[in-house]
Amino acid sequence: MKRALLFAAVLAFAAAAYAQDFGPSVTALTPDPVTVVAGKSAPVTLNFRVNQGFHINSNKPNSEILIPTELKLDPPSQLMVADVKYPPGEMLSLPIVNEKISVYSGDFQIGARVLAVRAISPGTYRVRGTLRFQACNDRQCFPPRTTPVHFDVHIVRARRR
Amino acid sequence: MKRNIVIFGITVVVVALLLFMNDITTKKADASPEAANTGIKTGQIAPGFELQDLNGKQVKLSDFRGKAVVLNFWATWCSPCKAEIPWFEDFQKQYGPQGLQVIGVAMDDSGHEKIAEFAKQMGMNYPVLFGKEAVGQEYGGVNFLPSTFYIDRQGRITDSVAGIIDRKDIESKLKVALGDQAPGIATPSSTPPNTVANSVVPNRSDSTAGASK
Repeated sequence: MKRALLFAAVLAFAAAAYAQDFGPSVTALTPDPVTVVAGKSAPVTLNFRVNQGFHINSNKPNSEILIPTELKLDPPSQLMVADVKYPPGEMLSLPIVNEKISVYSGDFQIGARVLAVRAISPGTYRVRGTLRFQACNDRQCFPPRTTPVHFDVHIVRARRR
Repeated sequence: MKRNIVIFGITVVVVALLLFMNDITTKKADASPEAANTGIKTGQIAPGFELQDLNGKQVKLSDFRGKAVVLNFWATWCSPCKAEIPWFEDFQKQYGPQGLQVIGVAMDDSGHEKIAEFAKQMGMNYPVLFGKEAVGQEYGGVNFLPSTFYIDRQGRITDSVAGIIDRKDIESKLKVALGDQAPGIATPSSTPPNTVANSVVPNRSDSTAGASK
């Protein structure tokens, strides 16, 4: 039975790797849990990967008609997410289009701060959200899409002096 | 024995998954520039539609009966689409007197006002219609933008391209639609259409008229 499961896992992994080769996608890589002391804040870095051959607009594309990449997080009630920092885009020149656009490609990171209210109970909380992006390759564009994002926050009590 | 059945079952499921992935990958490859859109074949009658233009007027594909039509699906957020628009404007000026009609179908959700403003800024000198997903579906899904369909005077699709291509290749394809150039010799890389340019075929249908997004 174990051998069957191992065999299935290998095949499933191969299928997943194969599946990554089609269409534009942005994968949110789940970060390690963030530890936050109740009543304090801590930084979190979210890592994303745009699949090869595609790019997405940065958060500040150099044209108002372009759709920016936007992270939306919906934390549990006693947590807050603030100070979301997007990386600057790389300027990509597409010869046939004859203009430079501000994009993310490959791996990129978005930083933020997680704040916990003082009254929050210790434990693990999951912050969920979405990353909205609009992808293109050098000749085609694809309608805007969203990819789910989540990370865990460990809340610990403040030490008493 | 039971274990073997489990292994066999899992293998069947995973192989089916791989075949499904392969199907999708093949469709992606088909979507590259110079390839026809999935589900739409050259030689077939262009699916009819009725869409609203920038002035609020309902426009049917059949309104352009007797003309060669370049049907361009685009969006305001699509840089390659934006790059093609001035070319289509030039082609409309140059080949309009010979019976060419460029039609732009805006497929974005940014609202009529924004699309109209964009069209004005770009100086689009051909009809711009507000697209509906149902019409996109009739044209193979239009999963990529720009997607352009070349339709001859009899309403048959002579070629279709997903993605931007060189201006000279667009010109060659529209000449085929106009009947000025024999199919298959447009460019070495073009998809040879199956249509016979001057064959007698039924009028374009407008079967999708009124379908909503």
